[in-house]
This record gives sequence, C-alpha cells and structure tokens, in this order.
Amino acid sequence: MLRRLKYWMDSSRRSEALREEMELHLAEKAAELQADGMMPECARAEARRRFGNIGQKQEESREIWMTRFLSELGQDFRYGCRAMAGNKAFTALAVLSLALGIGANTAIYSLMEAILLRSLPVADPESLVVLNWHGRRPREGGEDWVIHGLQGLFWPGDKGDLVSGIFPYPAFETLREENPVFSTLFGYFNGRNHNLAVHAQAASASAEYITGEYFRGLGVSPAAGRLIESEDDRPGAAPVVVISFATSQNRFGGPPSAIGQAVLVDNVPFTVIGVAPPEFFGVDPAAASDLYLPLHTNVLVDGARAARMYPDGNFYWLEMMGRLRPGVSMAQAQAALAPRFHQWVATTAKTEGERAKLPALTLNPGAEGLGGLRRQYSKPLYVLLAMVGLILAITCANIANLLLARAAARRREMAVRLSLGAGRLRVVRQLLTESVMLASLGGAVGVLFAVWGMRTLAFLLSNGQRNLALHVELNWSVLGVTAALSVVCGLLFGLAPAIQSTRPDVIPALKNQSGGGPRRRAQHLLVIAQIAISFLILVAAGLFVRTLNHLHSVQLGYARENILLFSLNARQAGHRDPEIVTFYADLRKRFESIPGVSSATLSNSSIINAGRAGAAIRGEMKVGAVTIDGAGVLAAGPHFLTTMRIPILVGREIDERDQPGSTPVAVISERLAQTYFGNENPVGRRITAVDEERDLEIIGVSANLRYGGLKEEEASSMTMFVAVSQFSADRVTYALRTAGDPLGYVKSVREIVREADSRIPVTNVVTQAEEIDRTISRELLFAKLCTGFAVLALLIACVGLYGTMSYSVARQVGEIGIRMALGAQRGAVVWMVLRRVLLLAAVGLAISVPAALSASQLVKSFLFETQPNDPGTLALAGVVLLSAAILAGYAPARRASRIDPLAALRQE
Amino acid sequence: MGRKSQKNDSLPGSLDMLILRTLSLRDLHGYGIVQFIQQSSDNELLVEEGSLYPALQRLELNAWIDGVWGVTPNNRRARIYKITAAGRKQLAIETRKYAKLTLAIARVMGTE
Repeated sequence: MLRRLKYWMDSSRRSEALREEMELHLAEKAAELQADGMMPECARAEARRRFGNIGQKQEESREIWMTRFLSELGQDFRYGCRAMAGNKAFTALAVLSLALGIGANTAIYSLMEAILLRSLPVADPESLVVLNWHGRRPREGGEDWVIHGLQGLFWPGDKGDLVSGIFPYPAFETLREENPVFSTLFGYFNGRNHNLAVHAQAASASAEYITGEYFRGLGVSPAAGRLIESEDDRPGAAPVVVISFATSQNRFGGPPSAIGQAVLVDNVPFTVIGVAPPEFFGVDPAAASDLYLPLHTNVLVDGARAARMYPDGNFYWLEMMGRLRPGVSMAQAQAALAPRFHQWVATTAKTEGERAKLPALTLNPGAEGLGGLRRQYSKPLYVLLAMVGLILAITCANIANLLLARAAARRREMAVRLSLGAGRLRVVRQLLTESVMLASLGGAVGVLFAVWGMRTLAFLLSNGQRNLALHVELNWSVLGVTAALSVVCGLLFGLAPAIQSTRPDVIPALKNQSGGGPRRRAQHLLVIAQIAISFLILVAAGLFVRTLNHLHSVQLGYARENILLFSLNARQAGHRDPEIVTFYADLRKRFESIPGVSSATLSNSSIINAGRAGAAIRGEMKVGAVTIDGAGVLAAGPHFLTTMRIPILVGREIDERDQPGSTPVAVISERLAQTYFGNENPVGRRITAVDEERDLEIIGVSANLRYGGLKEEEASSMTMFVAVSQFSADRVTYALRTAGDPLGYVKSVREIVREADSRIPVTNVVTQAEEIDRTISRELLFAKLCTGFAVLALLIACVGLYGTMSYSVARQVGEIGIRMALGAQRGAVVWMVLRRVLLLAAVGLAISVPAALSASQLVKSFLFETQPNDPGTLALAGVVLLSAAILAGYAPARRASRIDPLAALRQE
Repeated sequence: MGRKSQKNDSLPGSLDMLILRTLSLRDLHGYGIVQFIQQSSDNELLVEEGSLYPALQRLELNAWIDGVWGVTPNNRRARIYKITAAGRKQLAIETRKYAKLTLAIARVMGTE
C-alpha cells in the first residue's frame, strides 16, 4: 500500500519516464525497420502501428500505479464540474430547489427538536419526574371545589379533565417527608418579572422561586460561588439570590465579580451567593430565569399575601419535580405517591361537594422540563413539518424531472461516447457522479439555508419574549437524512436514464431519433405530483392568509397606529400609596410634554392584553340589584379615550379632575349602557363595586371597542373604564400618541423615567400595532411561512413544468415543423403545447382537491372565521396554480410557434 | 498485425512470464525485451509492443523487476530492467503453472 502511495505521489515523474521509454521504443523500432530498407516516413508509421494505441497504453500503465478508481473519479469530477458549468441554468435550478428543500426541512426539524425533544441540561435528566394532578372541572356557577384559589396554569387533559402542576405548600411538605421513591423532591414557581437593581442601575429580571432542594435535586453545580441550599429557604433566613450566567455577565461583568454583591429585588436587599452554569435555564424552556430566589423570600418581596399561601391547603401555587431513587420506575413512584396525595387532599375537603371530585396525582417524565412550550407549539410545528416534507417531495420530484430531461438531452452525447469505446459502466458511473455532485452542492447550500431559517424561525417563535430559552442548534442527523434523501433521489433518477441511455443500441440515438416513451410518462407523472402538492400548500397558505386578514379586519374600536406603549412598575422600586398615584400622574404630564407627543395616558394594561392581565377591580359589579356579567374593566388615566381615538358618545372621559379623593367615576361602553340601562341616559347613574365597597358614578359613554384579544367573543365589547388614580395599580402601561414612528420617542421616554427615578426600568416597549400583532403571532407566522412555502412550491413546480414542456417541444420540432409547413397557425401551435400543460395541471388538481378538502380539516383549529374548505380559497389557489402553469408553459409554447418549418425539416 | 500475440489472449499473464524469463537471462530495456522474445521464438510470438509497458509497470509495482536509468547498446538513455529475487521466485511459480497447463492441454489434445 505504501509503495503504491509512493508511486502515486511521483506519478507525474513516472508518466514522463514512461513517455520517454515509449518514444525510445518507437525510435528503435523505426530504425530497425529502416535498416530493413523501409522509407523513414513509412518506418515511423509502421512502428506506431505495431505499437498499438499509445494513449491507451499510457493510460493503462498509469492506472497500474494510480488506482483506477481514484483517477477515474478525478476525471468524473472534473467532467462533472465542466458539465455543471456548461449548463448553468440547470445547475442553478437543481441546486437551489434542493437547497431550499433540505434547508427548510432541517430548520423546522431542528427547531422541533429544540422545543419538543431536548432534555434539560442537568445531571441524569431521565430520572426526573414532574408532579401533576388531574381532576374534574367544576361546572359554571360556583360548584364546590377543593381548590379555593390558585396561582398558575392548568390545561385541558383527557375526557374534559383539568390537568395542572400546581399544589398547595402543605402537599409539598407531606410528600417530602420520608419519601421512599424520590431521592429529592423540590418545588418552584415562576415569580414573573421583578425589578433588579445592581449598583443603583435598575432593570427588569425574571425570577424563579425555588425550594432549598432545587439545585441539589437537579444536580446542577455552580459556575461561581454556591447554590441555594435548604438552610437558605427558611422563614427569617438571610435573603440570598443565585443569578443566571447571562445576568452575571450583563450586570456584573462576569461570574466571579457577582459573588457577595448586594442587590435590590423590588427594593428588598439580597446578597448574590452564586451563579448558575451557562447552559442552565431553569426547568421551563419557555421561561428562562435571571434570578433564583429561595421560596420563602417571596414573603419579603410579594408581601403579606404571599405569607398567607403557605399554610393554606386549598390554595394551589407550588410546582414540584422529583428525582427517582435508583431502580424505581415512574409507575412504582406513582403507585406509592398517589394514595398519599389522595389521603392528604381528602383532609382539605370541607364539604361533600368538594370531596366528590378530588384531584388525583399523576407523574410525568421531567427530562424535557415543563411542557408549556410543547403544548403550545407542538401542533403548529407538526403542521409546518408536514409542509416542509411536502416541499422536499416536490424538490425531489423536480430533481428527478430535471435529471430525466437532461438525460434525454444527452442521449446523443452518451451514444457518441459509447460508440467511441467508453465502457458502459464507466458512463453510468460518470452520470452518477454528476448526480451526487449536484445533490452534495444542494446539501451544502441547504446548510446555509437551514442555519438562516432556524434563526429566523426561533426569532419569530420567541415573539419578543426575551427569556425563551430556545437553544436551537443545527441538527446534523436531520441534515444528514434530508441530504441523503436527495442524494438517493438523485441516484435513483440519475441511474434509470443513465442505464437506459447506455444500452448497447446506440444507433437510433446517434441518428437523433426520438424515443423514450416511458421516460416521458415518468416526467408527466412527476409534474402532476408536483402540481398536486403545490396545490395543497397553496390552499394552506390561502387559508392562513385569509385567517390573518380576518384577524386584521377585526374592528378594534381604537387606534392601532402611531401609539407607543411601555410599562413601568414603581411599586417594585419602592413607591407606595398614595405617593405612587401622583408619581404616575406627574410622569404622564412629562411624557405629554415631549415634542411630537400629542397626548399621553396610562392604564393598568394595554387594551389587547387586558383580558390576560387580570381585572382592575376584583369581585362583582352591580347596577342596583343586577349583576353585570361579562364586562371587561380597564383602569385608565386621563385622556385615555382621546389617545386611543375611542369616540365619546355622551358625557366626558376620565381626566385630571378624577383624583383619589374625589367621587369614583366610570365610563362605560355603548353596549354596556344599552344592556343595563336600555335607552336611558346612564350618565349620573351608579355602578357598585361589591368587593371594593364603592359606588362608581357613570360620567360618560364611549363607543364600543374590542376589549382583550382579537379572537374573543363579541360580548367583550362591554367595557367599563375606571380611573387608575382611584384604583391603585402596581404596574401601569403608558400609551403615547405620537407623530411619526412611535419608536423614535423611546429615548426621550427613558430619559424622563431615569430623571424621575433611576430605579425603575422601562419594560415592554412596543408600538400598539406590534403589541396587537404579538397576540396573533402564530397566525402571522403561519401566514408568512406558508405564503413563502407556497411561492417556493409553485416556483419549483413551474420549473418542473417548464423543463418538461421545453423538452417535449424540443423533441417535437420535426412534427411542429411539418404542421407549420402544412399551414398550421402560430396560435394553433401555442395552443397545442398549452393544452398539454393545462391537461397536466387539471389532472394534478383533480387529485389534489379531495386531498386538500380532507387535509385542511387538520388545521381547522388554527383558523379564525374561516372554514377549512373555504371555496373562495380553493378557487383562488386553483386559479393561481393554473395561471402559473400557463406562464411556465407559455415560454416553450412560444418557442414552438417560432419554429422555422424549413430549418426544422432540414434538421430531420 | 494479422498474427498478433494470440497466445497472450488465450493465456493471460503469459506476457509477464515471458518478460520475467527474458530478464532472468540478462538485463534489458523495453525494446530489447520485445526483440528478444520475438527472436527466441523464431518470430512465432509477436508481442503487441504497446502492451509491454503496462506489464512492465505491473511487474515493477509487484517488485518482481527493478528499472534503473542506463544506456542502450546504441548509446541512448533508457530504463534498463533487471529481475529481483522475488521475481525469480515468481518465475519459478509461473513456469510450474505453465508446465502443468500445457501438459493438461496436450493430454486433452492427445486423447482426441
């Protein structure tokens, strides 16, 4: 082997020597022949004749030391490069469509893996289990339920059950004692955003409250300092905090310098004791935490309300995870713990009604962390995955088609090569090399597309959420599979024509006769498949765009453009009643004085998020003895209606006159007024806030507006505005009506806030339009992606169609020439070609329409006011597809009509 | 080339054997080998001259012969080939094989 390598290394010297040897041979032979009396010219010719094919012998000799395979591969490669460069359009089309197919698949699948399948970056994630309960949902109308209050999420489970991961603290204590199946049980809850002040610089930070066993249970070791332990999580322990690696870098300039620093969390002093490792994000990939606080410190930060949660066995708020002891299965653990939980929860039931439907404990695998993101995104991702799968199918069909067409175009070339003595295997191998080269190039460009696509998708999915821990990485195995698929496709469709065009009978091909009926049929089938698939994607895109249009055309009843929103939380920075009211009011005045800001106002939430932010007033509201049902309440500052361009129909809006001490006031929407006051003028009438023990005087009636999300029911246009100054809010959202781009005013806003109180961070800075779009981010994403996919699919299908038609026109030059010579008009020739295009498209559509009708049911839940089998969308998709097909077919058809009969016949 | 090296076709590998045999008698360059084979077979064996060179390369790669630059009787620079020890061993093997084969063929021909 070594010897061979050495031979190969100095191959150029050797071939030089070989040439010299052969020349000498010829010279000596010639000399000998001459000596026998031959003329010099004849002698040289005779010597050559006797020697045989010099080039071939040289080649053979070279092959002896340079292994044949390598040298031929090199040749094939060089030839392939020349062929690819020689047919740039073909190469570009093939590579581009492959790259898009491979890239889109890899991106979507990598994202899916990141969201759905990735394990937590902790020790032995497989032995982690999440504790959940499931139970019957109480009927509307205040049926008895053992859960009196809760703070956290639940979601629908099987058979109409509710599933949740939140438990009362006593349940945690009970399960923690003498646990035979868990080596550790730890609890945590999402503390949402808090104000973190470091060296008097304030910024918003997301916090996770954790029990003392949390880090030990997860098996995480600190990047610096130490992590929270059981001693830190006791009432009265010194308040300490562990910060995330990113926070240590952003706020302290690195993990070591953070240790021992004093910080303020919502104005409560804490000491930084440690930094979590860089890859650690907590247990919920959808909510990466900046701060880890001992559970019991929530009493310091959140106040007395938090202290009440600990002993209450009917208040559900703490999430739990456990690590199984070695050798214990999840089923065993559940069998051991479920009765214990049942026993405990039975003691908390106070009435028969509560006892009738107690929640039951279930365990779920915890390796992948909490499932919020999974629940939210798994279905959309599967839909996207199906779509890119279809795109890949079109791509493969396209490659196949292009290769088939090209093989046909190269029949003559192959025939020439074969008749000149090329080995059949050699020609086939060369064609295969070209296919594989094409696929590899497509794969390489596909990687670029994948990386770019993944970043874009992760950005779109994160939807402005800063702490979405999407560790998206390129999934090489997926890339491998998709690339392999396209290579296999290249091989398969490169091989069939290669073998066919190298069959020994080369004469017809040399004579340029057209044959290849089966190949043409294969091409037609591929085009039909492409058209059918494109139609599916077009319909999907149409449905999603329509949904988006419906969402965008929802009557908001308030201004969408030219409004800047941002949030402040002065309470977290230490402001208290009653000063906080004047603080917010003063800020509003200062914002209003920014040049270009025509009006400024504030409210407890943006209108679009009002439903989710929690009501401004808790408890029932009554008009006399009648309870107001289904009205949204928004605590608003002065000039809210003016700023939001909500018309005032009767009376006045809330303004500076409405102070904490003055009469509590309310403005109601027209629908609310009509529903509860009929045709009477409600101004001057009263609404009673029962829990607040206050009467509100109605001072005005506004036009209807959409309170809360775009997809909510029509009833949500019953709205009541109360004065934010009279119902103290913690966090407020300011709204500024601006001239020009709202984001141009962010700098002035930040300056004003910093001047007023540098401890208060400005958060959630966004335009109203963007804030509204965020609530429909999934629909936006789908509409954008699907439109992109549809364009892509259509493009690829058109390329396939174009290629097929061009090929068939090229083959029919003679026939068309004869027709034209016999007097066929150009129009007739164009129609002859287009008719075939339309036939192909029609067959594709005929296959696809039923498929689209049934497949669109799968995406029903993503649609808004749009039926899955929306006839308009189907018709539009059909029209678009047919027009694209005609467009793709027109160029070859035109070319056919320009055929010069004389030239065509002469060629024949 | 009407009477070209038919033996080479019917007995593949025999060219290698002939070359080894030639070189076992004396060191020669390519053309010399051809001449020797033709002369010593009374021009019965016509080696396709071009085929000699791939064969020489193959033999050299197997280290049965060794080529060095030298000078021909006509004072021209040429690669002179000599047989190696391994080459002699190989020649012995080939000779035995050849003898067996010709004997077998002779038997078949004799019984007819």
